[in-house]
Amino acid sequence: MDDSVARLRWLRVPALLTVVGLVVAACGTSAPTTSNLAKDQTLRVNINTEPNSLDPGQEQYNYEGAIGASINETLVRIKPDLSDVQAAAASSWSVSSDGLTWTFKLRSNGKWSDGKPVTGADFVYAWQRILDPRLAAPYADPFFDGIVAGAQDYGSLDAVKDAAKIPDFLNGLGLSAPDASTFVVKLQAPAPYFKWIASLWMSAPVRKDVVDQYGSDKWATSPTSLITNGQYKVSEMVSKDHITLVPNTFYWGGAPTVTKIINYEIADDNQAYAKYLNGELDLDSVPLANTDLVKNDPKLKNEIKFVPQLTLFWMDFNTRKAPFNNKQARLAFSKAVDRDSLAKNVLKQRSTPADFFIPKGMNGYRPDLGTSQAFDPAAAKTMLTQAVGDPSKITIDFLIRNSTANKQIGEFLADQLQTNLGVKVNQVVIDSKTVTTRLRKHDYQLYVGGWGADYPDDQDWFDIWMTGSGNVFGGYSNPDYDALVKKADIEPDAKKRQAYYDQAQKILIDDAGGGFLYQRNYMFLVKPYVQGLTTTAQDFANVGDWFWGKVSIAQH
Amino acid sequence: MAVAQGAPRRGALVSFKIPRGRAASLSLYIIRRILWLIPVLFFVITITFVLMHLAPGSPWDKEGKQLSPAVVRNLNAKYGLSDPFLVQYGRYLVNVVHFDFGLSFQYEDQPVSGLILRSWPPTAVIGALAFVMIVIFGIGIGVVAALRQNTWVDYVVVGFSTIGASTPAFVLGIILIIIFSVTLYRVTGGNFSLPTGGFALDQHLIMPVVTLATLPIAFIARLTRASTLEVLRQDYIRTAWAKGLRERLVVTKHVLKNSLIPVVSALGPTFAVLITGSVIVESVFAIPGIGRAFVVAVGSRDYPMILATTILFSVIVALANLVVDLLYTVIDPRVRLG
Repeated sequence: MDDSVARLRWLRVPALLTVVGLVVAACGTSAPTTSNLAKDQTLRVNINTEPNSLDPGQEQYNYEGAIGASINETLVRIKPDLSDVQAAAASSWSVSSDGLTWTFKLRSNGKWSDGKPVTGADFVYAWQRILDPRLAAPYADPFFDGIVAGAQDYGSLDAVKDAAKIPDFLNGLGLSAPDASTFVVKLQAPAPYFKWIASLWMSAPVRKDVVDQYGSDKWATSPTSLITNGQYKVSEMVSKDHITLVPNTFYWGGAPTVTKIINYEIADDNQAYAKYLNGELDLDSVPLANTDLVKNDPKLKNEIKFVPQLTLFWMDFNTRKAPFNNKQARLAFSKAVDRDSLAKNVLKQRSTPADFFIPKGMNGYRPDLGTSQAFDPAAAKTMLTQAVGDPSKITIDFLIRNSTANKQIGEFLADQLQTNLGVKVNQVVIDSKTVTTRLRKHDYQLYVGGWGADYPDDQDWFDIWMTGSGNVFGGYSNPDYDALVKKADIEPDAKKRQAYYDQAQKILIDDAGGGFLYQRNYMFLVKPYVQGLTTTAQDFANVGDWFWGKVSIAQH
Repeated sequence: MAVAQGAPRRGALVSFKIPRGRAASLSLYIIRRILWLIPVLFFVITITFVLMHLAPGSPWDKEGKQLSPAVVRNLNAKYGLSDPFLVQYGRYLVNVVHFDFGLSFQYEDQPVSGLILRSWPPTAVIGALAFVMIVIFGIGIGVVAALRQNTWVDYVVVGFSTIGASTPAFVLGIILIIIFSVTLYRVTGGNFSLPTGGFALDQHLIMPVVTLATLPIAFIARLTRASTLEVLRQDYIRTAWAKGLRERLVVTKHVLKNSLIPVVSALGPTFAVLITGSVIVESVFAIPGIGRAFVVAVGSRDYPMILATTILFSVIVALANLVVDLLYTVIDPRVRLG
């Protein structure tokens, strides 16, 4: 009895310090109070899955970006509140008056983990490499071939048949390094959002001599050859177990407080949760099933960290097939789902209901635009009957990825649609790859799709609903929407740009291109002794993993 | 008899002289069984290859942000997936003969052989330890239960094996974690507890090995008990008792040798299953093993990884069966191979 009271009191001190640490960090002076630091500055986190690659050109998942954000430094990097980018590998940058030429001045003291200086040529090489069809970089399209001058032909170059043409294609790209500390990018068209692309993990520099020496496919697979320019570098990789990071001693910004980051690759939620309880992990995502348990636990509830994420889900209607080729029918389906109940009963209040498209945390967040999709079962049923006739004659094939969470959400939605509309819903639960194949072939009627921001600019969100997009499967198309988004994407005036996007969002919601459902939030447990955690709405695998450099471990 | 006359004369089909002696015929038998692996593997590869390509979903189809058609085309070209099926199949066969199992699709550009060599040792260590436990405890408690039939010892063993056989590994694993990691950590104030998961050659092994071994121990114990009871009722055992032999001698020399025949034939496949890994145990205890690697490979349509793992598993199963057949000749002199 005495013991537990003592422990609680003992815990409160670091918890308070965390708050102080956060306030201090928010004020911009993140100097940690050295007096109460623990001797062992090791941070232990779980990234869930082994990265498929740590080559910036090959990374495509959050568990890869989680490492990349610490070991690679891009030209610019996001600010924690996502309002803008801040200087990183580049100390300053300028845009020509026509918006087509971006000139980045690199830091004179920017260094690789082997001590060599970071040069403009390293960026030219990295970006050319991504646009080389032989590398088959997953995100060469659309981030680079749609932006960099001369890259338009990427899609028509075949890695094998056109091998002879590739060197000329790469040399003809609008990428240059007039001197060692300058990197210049010429764009196809003005793009106010280009600064965000320069902050993406795949925009990180790559060393040509390292790739040549170890091989394009080998250099990123071993700590000795993985030469990077970030605040941390990889010191150990144990397959399907963990990746360890230590400070890059040559980093221009000085040494971070945390001297070792162990990134475990634990796929099982319960295993990671047990590790957190046992003090073997410092941060952990709360398994959905344990949500209430954690909220009611006198100790754990103080360690909860709740961070909204720029991720939103919706019902993806296949507009090529009846009844979803009818706009009123789509709208009826959108109005038939009680999102509050979904968020409360299925998602345990870890998600925020949304009947609009742009999530909280983005410029384009306009919850008032969602009225046409607001929950109204009676109106929904009338609307559907008027649009396509007797609902009881309609059967919908609902494609669901085979996982516990997806099945629970699927069951809830099917029940809502059957109860509120009177339609029959046939739940087709199959493995994830097969679902994607069927989606890409448009062989489905209904599916729960979603989008997570690549970067916090509206362009990244609105482009996916343009006619012919590969990221929304339903084939939504509205020329008015397309015209507005095209205008907005290149508009330099922020206010005008926002107005265009707002109009576009209104069209999308009223057309029920998707039946919008909820925004996802991260619910984490963080040990009270982890100080200076700086979260963003765009974290990768853990809250705060963009800014591990600001964290310190208090005595405990 | 007429039937006997129609039977082919032995030896007429082979031109060379069949070596005499038991050792010689045994080694000939082993060589022949190993050579048989070649056609077996050929069919395993063919069936797996066809099934894999029939399975819906391509390696590049994923959840979340989609790859553009241009990127997918470049990926197909890079990994040779744009060639006709038969060309891919032929190329794979040629490579396998040269022990080249290709590059993983999922882990960009990493050779599959390296991935397997990395993930198999943890699985093999845990599987082998579990197997030792199974042999000792499974046979041990089975024999004891039979010898003390209808006493409390017997009831405890039967009770244990019923519960053990009906408790899934993921339930047992999580119960062990709750008791020996989480609760023990809390009770001892963090001073003493078993690690929740991960792999290392120390106390990390305890819970996974116990979890993996429990169900087979229960199964082997029941099997041993039943077959021992049957042997105990045989006339020659009665004779042995009647001669006044001591219990230890009767059990080791007469009972065990005969009662183990069905147990050995069950242990062979058990060993093969253990050493190829349990997805459940590896997931529950976060062990970087091959069982998980295989399931992940299937889920992500990593064709080269699926094929190489299947080949490895087939070789292990075939070898385990061979060992079982050889063990028969040791246990039971009536069995002749060749």
